[in-house]
Amino acid sequence: MLSALIWIPLLGAVLVTLLPSAWGASYPRFLSLGLIGATVIVSILLGIQFDPSLSDFQFTEQLPWIEPLGLNYQLGVDGLAFPLLVMNAVLTLIALWSSDRFTVRPRLYYTLMLLLNASVSGAFLAQNVLLFFIFYEIELIPLYLLIAIWGGPRRGYAATKFLIYTAVSGVLILIAFLGLAWLTGSTTFDYAVLKQQTLPLTVQVALLGALLVGFGIKIPLVPFHTWLPDAHVEASTPISVLLAGVLLKLGTYGLFRFGLGMFPDAWVLLSPWLASWAVVSVLYGSFTAIAQKDMKKMVAYSSIGHMGFILLAGAAASPLSMLGAVMQMVSHGLISGLLFLLVGGVYAKTGSRDIDLLRGLLNPERGLPVLGSLMVLGAMASAGIPGMVGFMAEFLVFRGSFPVFPVQTLLCMIGTGLTAVYLLLLVNKVFFGRLSESVMNLPRVRWAERLPAISLALLVVTFGIQPIWLSRWTEVSTTTLVSHFPTIAQVTAAQTAANSDRSEERMP
Amino acid sequence: MPQKTGQTVLPPASQTLEEIVRRLETGGALLPNSPDNLIEVVGILKSYGEVLNAYRLNLTYIAEYQFLVLFPFFKYFNGEVTASKLLRHWWHDRINYEFSEYCMKAMFWHGGGKLDDYLDSDEFRQLAQKAIQAKLAGNPLMLGCNRLFPEFLLEQVRVMAYYSALGQFWTVMSAMFLDLSDRYDRGEIQSIGDVVDHILVGLVEAASKPIVYQVKIGNQTYDILPASAGLTFLMDTAVPYVEAVFFRSFPFRGTVTYNAQSHQISADQSQFCYGALYADPLPIGGAGIPPTLLMQDMTHFLPEYLHDLYRMGLRGEEDLRVKICISFQKSMFCVTTAAILGLAPYPITTTNPTEQQANHIYLGSWVKRLADSRLITLQND
Repeated sequence: MLSALIWIPLLGAVLVTLLPSAWGASYPRFLSLGLIGATVIVSILLGIQFDPSLSDFQFTEQLPWIEPLGLNYQLGVDGLAFPLLVMNAVLTLIALWSSDRFTVRPRLYYTLMLLLNASVSGAFLAQNVLLFFIFYEIELIPLYLLIAIWGGPRRGYAATKFLIYTAVSGVLILIAFLGLAWLTGSTTFDYAVLKQQTLPLTVQVALLGALLVGFGIKIPLVPFHTWLPDAHVEASTPISVLLAGVLLKLGTYGLFRFGLGMFPDAWVLLSPWLASWAVVSVLYGSFTAIAQKDMKKMVAYSSIGHMGFILLAGAAASPLSMLGAVMQMVSHGLISGLLFLLVGGVYAKTGSRDIDLLRGLLNPERGLPVLGSLMVLGAMASAGIPGMVGFMAEFLVFRGSFPVFPVQTLLCMIGTGLTAVYLLLLVNKVFFGRLSESVMNLPRVRWAERLPAISLALLVVTFGIQPIWLSRWTEVSTTTLVSHFPTIAQVTAAQTAANSDRSEERMP
Repeated sequence: MPQKTGQTVLPPASQTLEEIVRRLETGGALLPNSPDNLIEVVGILKSYGEVLNAYRLNLTYIAEYQFLVLFPFFKYFNGEVTASKLLRHWWHDRINYEFSEYCMKAMFWHGGGKLDDYLDSDEFRQLAQKAIQAKLAGNPLMLGCNRLFPEFLLEQVRVMAYYSALGQFWTVMSAMFLDLSDRYDRGEIQSIGDVVDHILVGLVEAASKPIVYQVKIGNQTYDILPASAGLTFLMDTAVPYVEAVFFRSFPFRGTVTYNAQSHQISADQSQFCYGALYADPLPIGGAGIPPTLLMQDMTHFLPEYLHDLYRMGLRGEEDLRVKICISFQKSMFCVTTAAILGLAPYPITTTNPTEQQANHIYLGSWVKRLADSRLITLQND
């Protein structure tokens, strides 16, 4: 059943490519929508059969592939991957729906979108680290082309920068995986086998370091982030939605699955540094967002800040913080997807994303009142206002991280306050006041164009009111993920006690 | 730097104002003549005529039947209170009579004409007191209150007088606008000039129509504004109305926040310029923007040819009320043109150079007053 999530879009991509070019843009579009709709249905069926009380991988599939290399077709899903898998299907559906109906080269465009969906699903499902790596790398190709062909004026630069950064990311991850296999003498890249490694701590730290930088580029964490604002600004709206909503999550997912999952001792050792790194990322992303004049760039920097929360929660590695981390992944996926859709909507109608130029777009008759209202909701959700999914996710992150890293958590909480600052600046300048003369005659926004943003807004509110509908899939898996090593809180407390004992011994 | 061409170099706005004065002198209007402007003006005046008819019926009903009713819960029901009408009212399927009261209050506050003077006269006080005593007969509590606060109910009667006067003014205007629409349908109205002529003729015909107001209490009829007061349609309702509603009005809460303490609002009421001719149509549809009520009412009565014109716009029907407001302002510039021409010192067709000069100065002063209104914007809209 899991294979369907990979093969439906993959075979669909082939089918879309083979469509006669004379058939126009609507056939590839509706075929793609139908195929991704089918993956959404498969995801729902999986959800019905998924047992959240199990921590093991479910619906596992295994086929030998290139056995001498240790590469097998091994799939499985647990509570960490399942929400991300569903989000991939849903956000791809939304991205397809909000794609330009009259796009150039429609067959290539929809083929690449399907390929992207298949490779991301594959990465989330892979239980063989080499298979994960293959999907992780395949996903770069469609994304590079989607930015390079359908992007803005500086698309060539942005796409190349994205490719270089993420290629380096891939190389580092591959080095870590190969290093692990060689050093342990393993003949397989099976995740379950590699997870049992007992390498010396120094080696573990080195391999984890490679993974941290590799996935840190993808997340992205400061200072490896510079590709993201450029990619977002140049990418078209649907691509930005997928980039922020799903593709960045590959970074955090990989970090937890392979970094925390395979190198727990090294993770514990490095965790104070990781928490501090999260603080730098959160504050840098937030302060930089305040300075932006381009709405899309502001949301992009906001993403950098919010992804830092996930690292903080991962560093704390308590059951509660890990649950918060997964919630934050979903929450950020939905909220940033919503914000990018709305910024894209404003740009499509006004031709500008300049915060200093736009004004009064909440005007009920001639502005963009529905998009504006949703933007206010998105801003509130992003700033962690109760009643929306952002609040519950951030609350869990902070609640779970505070006992372990109180200072870093408090500093990260400043980032939440800064989110309110920059998003209210955006809302105040762009949507309040009298409608600017330069945008007095905007074309109408049809309900079909509003539908994707409304759908995401509904999910943001629904999971905000009923977070249990989200957390129930994950809780057992995340608890299990961090259960087999002493909590960092205990280690930190033990280290502190040991340090104070030594100090007392030195005292005359 | 002005070029030395031998001609006076005026800023663009001044040039436009000069052109407008010249247009008025040659029989034109404040609004340029164009096929679209004609459709908009006639179409919106047709709709406005229907709305005014509803407003004037309600104003007259309130003046006559809600006289000194201090808690008039059902004043917008015109005497017909049924469950279905109440439900429609709550569902907001109704005419926004609040707007007519808004205009009445603008007139009441700014005053002007003989009506304002009469309401401060002893004769009015005596007549009003008679009606008050009759109304309060058998109500010792209210009679006692009236003795304690003698100005309170008197002020209420003044308000009622304005309800009635505005109702009578709009009775004439409503019929005039609906007649204009009928004449347009018959092909008799071909230009903006024809529209202005129609209104001018209508105003002149009704100019000396008396404004009177009586209330029936028990079986007795009481004069409030008697015929002997000499109040007439043109000078005592039309002119004060134009001054109060078209020009002055008052600042309302909208997207512009006024700060009276920092003198953003003039202390001199006559300097107010928040009226219909000055209003920004863009905030229409927002909360607390009174013109929204009128524009909403006019959406119910748009003739199909005007509705079609609106549908062809970039936003279709989404910005209908803003488009209606722009058309409404165009039409009100036509009404203002008729009023200006009607009050000119000499006929606009005069060939006497001295009279022409006097007219030129007179028209110039009006156009100058309108320099900050929507007049310039609507020249090319």
